[in-house]
Amino acid sequence: MSTETMTRAEAAPAVLPVGRYGYDQIDRTFLRERIEQFRDQVNRRIAGDLTEEEFKPLRLMNGLYLQLHAYMLRVAVPYGTLGSKQVRALARIAREFDKGYGHFTTRQNIQFNWIKLEDTVAALEVLAEADMHAIQTSGNCIRNITSDEFAGAAKDELLDPRVHAEILRQWSTLHPEFTFLPRKFKFAISGSPHDRVVARFHDIGLIARPGPHGRPVFEVFVGGGLGRTPIVGVSLRDDLPEEDLLAYMEAILRVYNAHGRRDNIYKARIKILVQALGTDEFRRQVEEEFVAMDRARYRIEPGLVEAIKARFGAPAFAPAGEAVAVLAEDRRRDIAFDAWVRTNTHEHKAPGYISVVISLKPAGGIPGDATAEQLDLLADLADEFSFGELRVTHLQNVVLGHVRQDQLHTVWQRLSQAGLGTANVNFITDIVACPGLDYCALANARSIPIAQKLSSRFANLELQREIGDLRINISGCINACGHHHAAHLGILGVDKRGQEAFQITLGGSGEEDASIGQILGPAMAEDETVDAVSRLIDLYLVRRENGERFLDTYRRVGTAAFKDVVYAPA
Amino acid sequence: MDIRSNRRDADGQSVITANRLLDGITVWRAADGSWKERITESAPVSNTDVEDLLSSLQGKAQELGLVGVYGVQVQDDTDGKIIPVTSRERIRAFGPSVHPEFSPL
Repeated sequence: MSTETMTRAEAAPAVLPVGRYGYDQIDRTFLRERIEQFRDQVNRRIAGDLTEEEFKPLRLMNGLYLQLHAYMLRVAVPYGTLGSKQVRALARIAREFDKGYGHFTTRQNIQFNWIKLEDTVAALEVLAEADMHAIQTSGNCIRNITSDEFAGAAKDELLDPRVHAEILRQWSTLHPEFTFLPRKFKFAISGSPHDRVVARFHDIGLIARPGPHGRPVFEVFVGGGLGRTPIVGVSLRDDLPEEDLLAYMEAILRVYNAHGRRDNIYKARIKILVQALGTDEFRRQVEEEFVAMDRARYRIEPGLVEAIKARFGAPAFAPAGEAVAVLAEDRRRDIAFDAWVRTNTHEHKAPGYISVVISLKPAGGIPGDATAEQLDLLADLADEFSFGELRVTHLQNVVLGHVRQDQLHTVWQRLSQAGLGTANVNFITDIVACPGLDYCALANARSIPIAQKLSSRFANLELQREIGDLRINISGCINACGHHHAAHLGILGVDKRGQEAFQITLGGSGEEDASIGQILGPAMAEDETVDAVSRLIDLYLVRRENGERFLDTYRRVGTAAFKDVVYAPA
Repeated sequence: MDIRSNRRDADGQSVITANRLLDGITVWRAADGSWKERITESAPVSNTDVEDLLSSLQGKAQELGLVGVYGVQVQDDTDGKIIPVTSRERIRAFGPSVHPEFSPL
């Protein structure tokens, strides 16, 4: 049967993957055709029929960069959710086409740093066998849509955002009007009032909640972003009905596509347009476009939502039974386990279940890196304990969404044996770092070594507990892939006449109280920066009141005292 | 190619570098015109001559199986060792500092 005549219902998969959209034969045929298209492009590049200038946008649209030491392949993980078969495919790519590891990114993707151009098509074939690809992980298009790592599990969640993330994914994939935007475009979507997706720092951030008639409504933030010009997004709508979601997104993108600056790469993001027009004028133009559109064509009917939802597998939760009591007893008996549960778990909506954050930040380790063997273990644990499903977090960790509480001790033991049992989530050593100058062609400075030094210096768990909730993010350049502006304590690598130096920013937050970290003072050498962070922490421990977080103390005390401990002569 | 990597002093020396088209690996031009994975085998060229050489090589990049041919200034007074002046090019030459086992040297 050809794809033209096959209906979606006929092509639907027999077994649905939990937590993500199940591909059918039509999706798989599309991926195969796309791979053949890229195979032809690669062959023409190698033969010299395409210049590098001609080939570059084509490879980027397939996630292939040329970095310092080799090509890098960035694989899309839609809304951060992976199945165990997909994780095993990633392990295979790490093993067969790379140097044995992959790197989870702040866009919930994974990238491989040592891919050969001549192997790329074979790697894409491995991905396609697991219903994965690298489309739109680069280029001036709508990128991978990120979401809450606790989607469908968190007790505080009002709506599972992944069905709408999938609707947006399908709408934005190869959208002919938005394939060559002025610049890249990033969406995040959450269904929780607690912003775990950095919605206010995205080109568009969506917060879903149930509306008055049971159908979702969305708060729409637009024009947020980090990079050279960090800006907190503005709320454009507070009550966008589900049925108008695509029409309104299309209207925003059309205004941006028409008026976004293509003459200056540094002024091309939508945040610059929103600031230039002002929120009211931008909103007026979007509304004008919105009312002029054929809304019926874009309307999301309840039947469509149900059809998409029907392609998601749902976890079959077992009754809680004695699970809660078993966990309590396991924690009482095992102090180290108890410490890990306190930091690395998240409350689940289903009685007897819990979500687990697996830290990819061991003491002195490389944030976000996982070896092929670790990836295989994660897949095994997902199969055995979490309905075959894993999530990648924008903080470069991995989540098992649905673990029965009476199985948590076993999960922790298995993780610990593989070096994945670090109990540091949201602590000072849970550092986010971009690949930096060790790999990235754009970077000015290395991010990973300073993360490793800080992680080693603060490795003592008791000290980390004493310091409490503290986010350190490190970017190797002003493009801010490490989201340093949104960190309580950010570090930015800069170029000083060809040599690395680091600026510290303080006071950033990516949550509901979004704020942009402020530069503390002149850039320093790497070791000076590590020492400066220590002094900042010492000051915080002295000055904090009533269980304040580092961020709270900084906001209360102000910059001057923190600046003094870093720059004032001893 | 990043302009930061192409800054040169008039009286300095540079080596010629590129990435291989097929695998992206960083390579350096040796005295015999071959391309080596180790910067230690490269041949420094006076900065007064480097632009002409680059212009000629950039036109042959496809034929040579290379991408992004450019010059990298190297330090003086290094006891015969060839060390780029910038952090970026040192990392390209010596490999990611966080994985010394991947260094070409």
